[in-house]
Amino acid sequence: MLQELFDNGRPAFAPGAHTELRGQLNRSRRVTLLGGNVIANSRSDISGVSARVYKNGTWGFSSMAEYSEDAAGTVLKAASENAEFMDRHVNGGKEPLPVTEGFVLVPEKDMQDVPQKMYLDVAKTMDAYVQSHCPGLQSRTVAATADSMEKCLLTSDGTRCHTISPRSYVYVFMTAQTNDGTPVELFKAVGGEGTFDENFADPQRYYPEIDRLYEQVMLKREGVYAQAGLKTVILGGMMTGMLSHEAVGHTVEADLVLGGSVAGPCLNRRVASDKVTLTDFAHHAFGERCPLPVFVDDEGVRAEDVTLIDHGILTGYMNSRESARHFGMRAAGNARAWQFSDEPLIRMRNTAVHPGADRLEDMIASVEDGYYLVDSGNGQADTTGEFMFGVTMGYEIKHGKLGKALLDTTISGVAFEMLKTVDMVSDTVVWSSSGFCGKKQPMPVGMGGPALRCQVMIGGR
Amino acid sequence: MEKSMVMSKLEALGGVILQAAKEQGVQYAQCTVSEREKREFNVDGGSFSLMRTLFDRDVIITVLKDQKKGSVRINRFDEDAVLEAVRECVASSESAEADDAWAFADSPVEKDFLDGEPECDLEALFDRSRELMDQIREKHPKILMEQMITEHDRVEKVFMSTNSVKYRTLGGCYHFSLMYSAHDGEKSSSFFGSDVTLSKLDRPILECAMIEKELSAIEQQLDTQPLEGKFTGTAVLAPAAMSEIVLSTILDNYVSDSSLIDATSIWEDSLGQKVADERFSMSMTPYADYVVMGDRYTSEGFVSEGFDIIRNGILKSFDLSQYGANKTGNERAKCEGWNLTVESGDTPLEQIISSIDRGVLVLRFSGGQPAASGEFSGVAKNSFLIENGKVTHALSEVMVSGCVRDMLKNVRAISQETLRDGTVSIPYIAFDGVTISGK
Repeated sequence: MLQELFDNGRPAFAPGAHTELRGQLNRSRRVTLLGGNVIANSRSDISGVSARVYKNGTWGFSSMAEYSEDAAGTVLKAASENAEFMDRHVNGGKEPLPVTEGFVLVPEKDMQDVPQKMYLDVAKTMDAYVQSHCPGLQSRTVAATADSMEKCLLTSDGTRCHTISPRSYVYVFMTAQTNDGTPVELFKAVGGEGTFDENFADPQRYYPEIDRLYEQVMLKREGVYAQAGLKTVILGGMMTGMLSHEAVGHTVEADLVLGGSVAGPCLNRRVASDKVTLTDFAHHAFGERCPLPVFVDDEGVRAEDVTLIDHGILTGYMNSRESARHFGMRAAGNARAWQFSDEPLIRMRNTAVHPGADRLEDMIASVEDGYYLVDSGNGQADTTGEFMFGVTMGYEIKHGKLGKALLDTTISGVAFEMLKTVDMVSDTVVWSSSGFCGKKQPMPVGMGGPALRCQVMIGGR
Repeated sequence: MEKSMVMSKLEALGGVILQAAKEQGVQYAQCTVSEREKREFNVDGGSFSLMRTLFDRDVIITVLKDQKKGSVRINRFDEDAVLEAVRECVASSESAEADDAWAFADSPVEKDFLDGEPECDLEALFDRSRELMDQIREKHPKILMEQMITEHDRVEKVFMSTNSVKYRTLGGCYHFSLMYSAHDGEKSSSFFGSDVTLSKLDRPILECAMIEKELSAIEQQLDTQPLEGKFTGTAVLAPAAMSEIVLSTILDNYVSDSSLIDATSIWEDSLGQKVADERFSMSMTPYADYVVMGDRYTSEGFVSEGFDIIRNGILKSFDLSQYGANKTGNERAKCEGWNLTVESGDTPLEQIISSIDRGVLVLRFSGGQPAASGEFSGVAKNSFLIENGKVTHALSEVMVSGCVRDMLKNVRAISQETLRDGTVSIPYIAFDGVTISGK
């Protein structure tokens, strides 16, 4: 349906102005069981067209919740009028964006939907497994979810792209009580790129991960508080992914560099130890397909990898076409929009630290008194590079051996200082992709990395 | 309120949805059908960058068939799409589990709501936006606006149910959202956000909410010093930090549907009991004169009313939906949303600070989601050290931790100064016994 709108030839783009016309459908599906009760059972299909026009340094944008030639004409006209309004009031005085060579991209397969019953059946199956195999929990929640984007993009450069990006997950939340009655929680997301029927035809394949989650929450209920202060820690791969995304990735998004991020004055300077190389991967990394591959962005730029830190030196930013011109860098497909009514923003794709040569066991054995921090519930970072992550699962390390589990705590630091303390990097990369990055609009992203040995501030109780 | 052509169209579509649902054998159906228009200006990196105009639609359908619930949301108004959405919604409910707790407003009622300012004055919106940027450049030259979004939202919507409940809403408001930091050479502060929602553009935005005060505070954050060691002291939480630490914990972890249904709330048996200092009162106030476009009816179809969650330290009500109320044997909350009022105190902030030997003033909190118990730990962002009754300097890399349950009983003072941003009314509150740790 989206394709038809674009097969009828190039609409009436204003001459001489870079213009994008995009049709898009976002689907989301959700079933949530809280203690076996179906508390959410919802489906959402959001679709429409949008246009964006660049004139002398500012943009006009418009969108409409309708697929039709009339709607395309309406948003093109409104976007052009908005660009004129901004030009009259602001007069940015910049040159037109450089014209690039157009290309055509077609999807690998069609957009697929799955009946709501399958989400309910899988959620109930996995909930029943938790209920029967995980005694002693205070509460349990199982949520079956899927979201997907189908986009058709037409640009004034002649680029025509049709892309489909599905992903689906089941989240399992477990809560247990400590001896003094305090609730402790953990959750795990299983699934990844692909439709729900592709990922969950056999829910039993995820039971070992549920067993592991249960084991962790039961250890955590016997957990201890971390001692506050600057500590030697091993960050697990999930934590490294969070660090890559939150504490470094955002500071090297070119729009935030222009907004005053710490990365502005740090370009070509040392920001990490020479063991650290960080890349925002487009679609393949370390010889494999990325968790959420991106082949083209919403400005019609082919997606390529961006090396952000090369052996400790900050070497690049992620860019839109406009910011790439500003910094004299190459746009590599980072400008992405969440829904049809959203304008493209500079976003990460699959951001990860490269693996090293150390074995995780040796890294743990090397720590006399510290912590192994495995998983994080959430994280935030500042444009100064200051970061804070909640640590939901971790262990003491005493004399090179894992000790007791930790109760919830927090780590914090300044990314470009902390990364200079990295002196061991494990040989295995762990990825996650179930969350949304928040930056005016939500956006699915992948993040990952190996385990790192470093010094970090831990919050304690 | 005179019915517009758009409203007539929305009602007609609502009628088609309810009729189609009834024909498919549901016992209950409700829908919200809305048409929205947004006008928006963006500033990025200190310069105007974008103007947006969005024409949006929304259809949310909920049905109950044999006590099984389904929901569908689309943004198309053509009859084929709407009828397909009803079929999907009914099919979705048929595959769900029956639950006797689902219940919706069942007394016939019809109301019109006219809220805020539905019509956008585009030139005035741009002029106020440019005036704000000019005034910030002049009065706060060290501030760099990372992003500013200024917008007007107009909505026409109808809520209809098969229980003869019908609400028509025509509304609109202006919203200003600022994200900024201070810079001096290579020195920079942590970022901060200021927001305000308005129905009129009758004064400079710099004078609204606490925007001027917050910009000044961030300019003072360029020369931060680390804190050595760890101590137990007083944390004065500014309104934003109050929301992030205390209010969200109360609403999410102590009085919400999920925390009470799965029995993780530590206040499960505390209705009518003292849970906070007697000076602490917290209410939902959707009709307060300082709230713009307040919540007018709940998603289950009940007309909203204000209510107390905590009054003079006593837990008066949970924040439960009708479903949550039926599940837990408690009463339904009388409204939804975040139109919160925390009662102000009678002490000026300066006087509160002058009474503190050692502590921190926290403007923003960056931390993980507090545990179900209310235990939290995170970075005190944009914070200042208080020593011997005075704010001495800005701090970097300071962590605060504690438990909201305990903090509510350790209130030192509540300020006269109050943030009113069009959504909430929140003062500064000083809490004793908070763990404050530096390097």
